[in-house]
Amino acid sequence: MSHDSHHAPVASKLELAPERSDLGLLRPDRTTGWSDWLTTVDHKKIGILYGAFAMFYFLVGGVEALAIRTQLIRPDNDFVTARMYNQLFTMHGTTMIFLGVMPLSAAFFNFLVPLQIGARDVAFPRLNAFSLWTFVFGAFVLNASWLFEFGHLAGWFNNFEWHKNLVYTDFAPANGWFSYAPLSGTFGQADASLHAPRFTGVGTDFWIIGIQVLGIASLAASFNFICTIINMRAKGMTMMRLPVFTWMTLVTAILIILAFPAITVALIELMFDRAFGANFFNPSAGGQPILWQHLFWIFGHPEVYILVLPAMGIVSEILPTFSGKSLFGYPIIVFSGAVIGFLGFAVWSHHMFTTGLGPVPTAAFSLLTMAIAVPTGVKIFNWLGTIWGGRVRFTPPMVLSLGFIWMFMCGGFSGVMHSSAPADAQQQDSYFVIAHFHYVLLGGVLLGLMAGLYFWFPKIFGRMPNATVAYIASGMVILGFNLAFGPMHYLGLAGQPRRTHTYHAGFGWETWNFVATIGAYILGLGVFISFVNLVWTAFKGKKCASDPWDGRTLEWSLPSPVPEYNFAQAPVIAARDAFFEDKHGGKRIGFENDGGEAGVHMPSQSWMPLLASAGFLFAGFGMPMMAMGVPHAGWIVITGLGVLIVGIWLWALEGPGGYMLKTPAVAGSPAPTETAAH
Amino acid sequence: MSENAAAHDAPTSTGIDHKKLIMWLFLASDCMFFGTLISTHLLYRKLYPAGFTDAEGHQRFIQNLFNIELTSFSTFILLMSSFLMALAVSAMHKGQIKSFRRNVLGVIFFGLIFLGCQVFEFTHFYHQGLTIQNSVLGSTFYVLTGTHGTHVAIGVLWLILMYFYSFTGKLGGHVGALDVEVAGLYWHFVDIVWIIIFTAVYLVEYLGPNGFWGTGLPAVTK
Repeated sequence: MSHDSHHAPVASKLELAPERSDLGLLRPDRTTGWSDWLTTVDHKKIGILYGAFAMFYFLVGGVEALAIRTQLIRPDNDFVTARMYNQLFTMHGTTMIFLGVMPLSAAFFNFLVPLQIGARDVAFPRLNAFSLWTFVFGAFVLNASWLFEFGHLAGWFNNFEWHKNLVYTDFAPANGWFSYAPLSGTFGQADASLHAPRFTGVGTDFWIIGIQVLGIASLAASFNFICTIINMRAKGMTMMRLPVFTWMTLVTAILIILAFPAITVALIELMFDRAFGANFFNPSAGGQPILWQHLFWIFGHPEVYILVLPAMGIVSEILPTFSGKSLFGYPIIVFSGAVIGFLGFAVWSHHMFTTGLGPVPTAAFSLLTMAIAVPTGVKIFNWLGTIWGGRVRFTPPMVLSLGFIWMFMCGGFSGVMHSSAPADAQQQDSYFVIAHFHYVLLGGVLLGLMAGLYFWFPKIFGRMPNATVAYIASGMVILGFNLAFGPMHYLGLAGQPRRTHTYHAGFGWETWNFVATIGAYILGLGVFISFVNLVWTAFKGKKCASDPWDGRTLEWSLPSPVPEYNFAQAPVIAARDAFFEDKHGGKRIGFENDGGEAGVHMPSQSWMPLLASAGFLFAGFGMPMMAMGVPHAGWIVITGLGVLIVGIWLWALEGPGGYMLKTPAVAGSPAPTETAAH
Repeated sequence: MSENAAAHDAPTSTGIDHKKLIMWLFLASDCMFFGTLISTHLLYRKLYPAGFTDAEGHQRFIQNLFNIELTSFSTFILLMSSFLMALAVSAMHKGQIKSFRRNVLGVIFFGLIFLGCQVFEFTHFYHQGLTIQNSVLGSTFYVLTGTHGTHVAIGVLWLILMYFYSFTGKLGGHVGALDVEVAGLYWHFVDIVWIIIFTAVYLVEYLGPNGFWGTGLPAVTK
């Protein structure tokens, strides 16, 4: 108790006396402004930072997408070179998946999960900060490849010896988001410096280290969230009373911790091939490039569900709220989510039907892929059942959620078409596939996430986004999206191959490519207007009540913005959707008076997670520079690893600290009554 | 270690401490990690059962390369280190800090012996002509066993730091026992992974007259 008793309970952290950690360093608990944001361990602030970075990278990935579509607006266009085109589509896919969708989902996990389960923070607040900053630095390393690319195009490196020795000068990744070997790997024999000849430039090295660092961030966050959800539920919050969004977070986190090791190992093997002349994927030494495909998709297919399950969770919160009904078939929705997660590991080879797996595996993976449509369909029927007979209120989040169901279903239908191996052989590597996964990831995931943003923004910032602008922007997104990707079904079946930088006139592709590009512009503008609306709301929007939607879950019981201690008293739950039931029916939430004058325990802020993750910045920069042949770049890597180790060491030794924060004195309320129903 | 009042006293929903739960989750993830590496090795063993070609162009067989007596010895040492780790955890739970220090020193010592054997083995194999560059076998073998060795090295480093930390007087009580137990979970896991690697990478090579993978050499002396 020695360290906590330094402090009498305070009403604000600014009243704290300066406190030194076990290392003798001043704890940054009393900071405000930018140093507060850099050292924060508050899950809500971390969530906001995740969201801000994710929205920024959505715009970056969007600009890359518009450059791609501009190149394809007419036949034989020369808006960008073929080499630049390869870099654009690779970085577009990688950015949207790893720097857009996953962090935006993480923003929701961070902000919502502790509130929804009635907790005051996550299980490991400093580890949470470490996940955030590791993501930020990983994203930075990945995109720094663009700086090198532009430096190269501007001729800045021409006088350097290492630049003259480069065979390939694609500085940004250019292999596609799944970086298939052997294109991403090596061939022939390693020379005396242990380097084998390669097919691609250092862009691939940036990609390898960038994804590796982002994987560490995702893994650390997932360990933390599983722990939080399983271990930090309020009294009475049984697993089958968890909000569906929290359930889907749990399933997603389990998928991440089981799927990411496969890509981690694949990246290590590829790195050894490129950096040390190993032969994992080197065909001239007996390496099997198809191993890369297996390892990648064992990760890559669960990754699809890692992207979509949080959006499904969001929609499962929004539909009941605006239908005035509880979620239809809660247990079966939860179960379907878990089944999707489980089956997600058993369908990876449907990405590889054309590699010649043989009839038995092809049939098996085909069957399992069809099977996974069943739990997905069950969810869609349950959502429809939720709306059915409800008093539906149309609001921006509701409209986007309805759009989600509709668009995601279209993506699902073309997905079932792919599950048939003979059909897939025709569709492979065509624009039909592009159409399919954009309907799933954009019509599904992006609409779901945007619905979530509009739904929870009033809770996060206490301000209501402008509904008119939101409707216009959402309409533009849905219209533009269908104009852009609907025609690609036709283009794909008419034979247009994906990932080719141009096409000749006369194949009958001109009209629909033109339409698709116009659609993409409308879509891009819609997303941009939406984001401007949201950012403006965060600072200047109209203030709103704490429960503007007549919400169902615990976060709506709190003031907006949510105070840093979340719950002044620890909630005790006696029903699913306890807050809604409590408002409209019997007594379903009680509070245990553990706060008040005695205060609630708050974790101390820390510089160490930021310091430790900064090590990844140096190491991440140094490794591609080593591959370029920049002199002394190895020292940058060693410095980075040193910073990482020192950061973790100081983090362990500084002690967790913590202080007591007074909460408004509210008397505890009597225990709630349990319902027979749930 | 400071006694973190709220974090310590607040019971968790499951009754399992956060630190212990997160270590179990990490180990679940690490299972997939090693599973992928071991699969890579076994797939290539099945595909190329013949071994590798050394710098002089001689075909070499893996049974002639391995020194199974040495590896069995280091495996035994690692197993015994797990036994000492269990004693260290038990001592910590009883608050017997001196006994903890003795046992944890033993674990560190045994861990270092294991690492020493691995360094010797790598050097020996390298001089015998197996390199990471000259064959797929070299790539999978060194990366798989090297990754395991890195895990052991991290464990040794962790325990060394814990050993010295115990002299500050801050390693004690419920939190101290929990921290040691979590380190113990990691150590036992790394040990179990080695049992699997020892079986799948070393022992199976000696099964059957032509080796498990089919075309190995029938027991030829070095």
